[in-house]
Amino acid sequence: MTKTINLTLKVWRQKGPEHKGHLETYRADHISTDMSFLEMIDIVNDNLTLDGDDPIAFDHDCREGICGMCGTVVNGRAHGPEKETTLCQLHMRHFSDGDTIVIEPWRSRAFKIIKDLVVDRSALDKIIAAGGYISVNTGGAPDGNSILIPQDIAELAMDAAACIGCGACVASCPNASAMLFIGAKISQLALLPQGKPEAAGRALSMVREMDRLGFGNCTNEKECEAECPKEISITNIARMNREYFKAGYFFSKK
Amino acid sequence: MHLDSKIPGGPLPDKWDRHRFELKLVNPANKKKFEIIVVGTGLAGGSASASLAELGYNVKTFCIQDSPRRAHSIAAQGGINAAKNYTNEGDSIQRLFYDTIKGGDFRAREANVYRLAQISNHIIDQCVAQGVPFARDYGGLLANRSFGGAQVSRTFYARGQTGQQLLLGAYSALMRQVAAGMVKMFPRREMLDLVIINGKARGIVVRNLITGEIETHKGDAVVLSTGGYGNVFFLSTNAMGTNVSAAFRAYKKGALFANPCYTQIHPTCIPVHGKHQSKLTLMSESLRNDGRVWVPKNPGDKRLPHQIPESERDYYLENKYPSFGNLVPRDVASRNAKEQCDNGKGVGKTGLAVYLDFEDAIKRDGKDLIAKKYGNLFHMYDKITADNPYETPMMIYPAVHYTMGGLWVDYNLMSTIDGLFVMGEANFSDHGANRLGASALMQGLADGYFVIPYTIGGYLAGTTLEGVNESHSAFTESTQHVREGIEKLISINGKRTVDDFHKQLGLIMWDHCGMARNDQGLEKARRLIQELREEFWENVRVPGSNVEFNQSLERAGRVADFLEFSELMVMDALVRRESCGGHFNEAFQTSENEAKRDDENFSHVSAWDYKGKDADPVMRKEQLVFEHVELSQRSYK
Amino acid sequence: MNWFLDILRSSIGKKLMMAVTGLGFCGFITAHLAGNLFIYNGKEAFNLYAERLHSLGPVITALELGLLFFAVIHVLTGVTLFYQNIMARPVRYVVNKSAGGRSIGSRTMPYSGVILLVFVVLHLLDFHFVDKTGTTIYKLVETTFAVSWYALFYVFAVIVVAIHVSHGLWSAFQTIGANHPKYMPVIKTAGIIFSISIGIGFGFIPIYILIFT
Repeated sequence: MTKTINLTLKVWRQKGPEHKGHLETYRADHISTDMSFLEMIDIVNDNLTLDGDDPIAFDHDCREGICGMCGTVVNGRAHGPEKETTLCQLHMRHFSDGDTIVIEPWRSRAFKIIKDLVVDRSALDKIIAAGGYISVNTGGAPDGNSILIPQDIAELAMDAAACIGCGACVASCPNASAMLFIGAKISQLALLPQGKPEAAGRALSMVREMDRLGFGNCTNEKECEAECPKEISITNIARMNREYFKAGYFFSKK
Repeated sequence: MHLDSKIPGGPLPDKWDRHRFELKLVNPANKKKFEIIVVGTGLAGGSASASLAELGYNVKTFCIQDSPRRAHSIAAQGGINAAKNYTNEGDSIQRLFYDTIKGGDFRAREANVYRLAQISNHIIDQCVAQGVPFARDYGGLLANRSFGGAQVSRTFYARGQTGQQLLLGAYSALMRQVAAGMVKMFPRREMLDLVIINGKARGIVVRNLITGEIETHKGDAVVLSTGGYGNVFFLSTNAMGTNVSAAFRAYKKGALFANPCYTQIHPTCIPVHGKHQSKLTLMSESLRNDGRVWVPKNPGDKRLPHQIPESERDYYLENKYPSFGNLVPRDVASRNAKEQCDNGKGVGKTGLAVYLDFEDAIKRDGKDLIAKKYGNLFHMYDKITADNPYETPMMIYPAVHYTMGGLWVDYNLMSTIDGLFVMGEANFSDHGANRLGASALMQGLADGYFVIPYTIGGYLAGTTLEGVNESHSAFTESTQHVREGIEKLISINGKRTVDDFHKQLGLIMWDHCGMARNDQGLEKARRLIQELREEFWENVRVPGSNVEFNQSLERAGRVADFLEFSELMVMDALVRRESCGGHFNEAFQTSENEAKRDDENFSHVSAWDYKGKDADPVMRKEQLVFEHVELSQRSYK
Repeated sequence: MNWFLDILRSSIGKKLMMAVTGLGFCGFITAHLAGNLFIYNGKEAFNLYAERLHSLGPVITALELGLLFFAVIHVLTGVTLFYQNIMARPVRYVVNKSAGGRSIGSRTMPYSGVILLVFVVLHLLDFHFVDKTGTTIYKLVETTFAVSWYALFYVFAVIVVAIHVSHGLWSAFQTIGANHPKYMPVIKTAGIIFSISIGIGFGFIPIYILIFT
């Protein structure tokens, strides 16, 4: 009753950051089309384990598209061919019997490969640590309703805040740039009145940190926006640019 | 052992104030001399790490994911409760307190729950100040909605991603402290043992998940915020990595484990599609506001839903509970779905699903309005199942969602081991036998932002802690023990994968220790678990080595713990001779098939005391005293 | 003034330099095209226009130096960005596929840029750094485009300009932060119209000369 398909996988295997990697071919047979992509890899891994081989390492956790842990490049597309979808929410019904699927890790100088499809995305944490916060200690906050925030502003901030930090923007950018990720955070906090006092310093230090970490530059190719599982808009990059120039040229502190 | 809950004296509303005054303070200059270990970076761990660091403590924070932003708190959809009464409906701290304690079927501590309700308002303020983009009304004020059958609108939300936004708030506060050098962050580390020196928690042993190295970390106190144990069922709405290991290994070192049998099963999840399924997806409970739940009247009716005429449909919730209808609480809705499927009326390929039908709602309100309310949920459902809920009824089935039990803690959130604190879902404290919607986020953040920063100070100021370092024999012994366990797992080299065992364990638990339990099934489960555990240690296959990135090895350790922990759950379920909230023993039900509590004999917390590998644990009781609420039977007819 | 350069040296600053100089070029080619249209008015009109233009003297020299300065910045920054962007992904993907964000223009920016650079140099050699004694600008155009393959090369180059600008124009607005939901669609449409106008406006001249005169 359930439809099944047979696939050929070409998976990037790499033992560690210092090792050389290569594409390895595997069969994935009798895959139910109701399965998710990660469940398909689970099956391949079960077979590898029982055959005495090393299973494919891949990051995943919530498997409901919100934690941002999963993500590989599938046939040249970050998180696979579906729009607005994380890899864990990609289902096998979008593939056909006999397909060959090439699975590669996120590739960027700033994301070192740990093993196979697992990469080190701590660069994104470092960027947040550089200023992706509002400096309020626990305890001193005024009543939540003492700050009025127009609904449309709150919605715009929420659009930007929806980022799950998966790194697909970096992976899909032809230049491996992280500007959508940073733009989203700078935007969220610059839009909200609570974030305004630190907006200038935040823009300067987050961009500086991004540059230091070796991400590429934005050339407005819009691939990040097209690939973002949360459909974060590049208007956030424009807003970041505005915030950055404003801070760089009109902020009195040097 | 006497379990002293350390509930402060005085009238209920004044207890927390009084307690904060009585707690000793650590001199600001001395705070930097203390090192605090926090394990887990969900709402509780993230907020605690940040708040403790802000106070001046040196914090070392650990998580198993690659970043502290990924803990499973992130998946909470609905919202967070607070007694703000912004909607002028007569909400108050007292009402939130009462609803929560009643929702928990009167199996939680009054003082803890009252404190939770008191703190709830500060949480909202704190999160707003951090830049959490809560939904707003047209005038710019915070918006509220009613959730989980509450009679007042007290739930604050950020679209369907409230957990994510709150967690990112805590994460940003945490990263600010990382940048300030006050928190040292250790991602991709799994806690494998608690180190106790002179009766006090003084450190942890962790495995570096990238290199496989076993690391030791000392501290003056250890704070666990490692989440719940829902993954003992294999299939649950929890993240794949969610596990009981940190809490369970603390239990084996002497921390009592309370109420392990309390499990929350959420009624509206997407049903299982096949045996390779890895994870269940929750659909927001709000769907029941407009959807009608039904099954065919005749068992085994395999017709498509639109071929079944109205007269042959059984809207069982509406028929059985005329006044609450489809909006009965989670546990009731779940149990009834199971009952229908057990009677052969389940629908779908597996027969383990019921319909949630929006046809009448669409006829009544129009497709546009329904799309506005539930469009994103319908979209999500369509994406996963390839069925369009606008045209054909959704299929839903209950799934494990949250666990109310956890390590026993006193009013200070300290376990039975001095210096070991436990927060959030990992402790047992505030939800009794059943958690209400939008309460989990509230509790995690209350513990982390507003309770632990004071109570840990009280502990540190009132204790003498001798200097220790990682070369202490307790650390070396612990490391040795951990290493042996890992080497053993690798050396078995059997014929079954880790997941294979995990799935089998999950089925045993789901069948016999799930939505409805009975003595016979529980006894059987206990036997099956023991057999499976034995087989596991002889026949599991863990590929690779222990000195590399090895995800099979990570899972093997967790499943090994589940295989022991599950038996504790079953034992707890067996000795609780009543039904309450998330624990339903078929032998104890009212004439209307509702959970029948036995307040006289079971108004207590069951806390389990580990007695070694070859002995059964001993159950200790903490009597629950209710002075402010009157215990009543829940009825939804 | 360190802060001034620091900002320009950052990734976003480099983008700003590309955007501002690029917009400068767009302004220049608009004026250039407007002037060239005189060619359709006949020989005299075109020569008169050239004469009047050159009579502006120092103003023209200042503008030329400005353009040169812009060109140096645009080229050097472009080369730096191209190099950095290659370096940002040391190991490339085996399979590359667009999610639909890229356009022909965005995809080919660095390469169309190189072609344009070559073209601009040739173009300057043809019409600027050339001995104009005893001839008119119109004659110069006539003789240059009399060679049909050379005329076609000009057409090709102008199409490349159009493609480069089709991405460059809206992209410059995005970079300087001028992305507004109400105005961006207008800017994008204007960018397309602009690049088509450039393509047709300039591209038709060699054909016109070749066929109609």
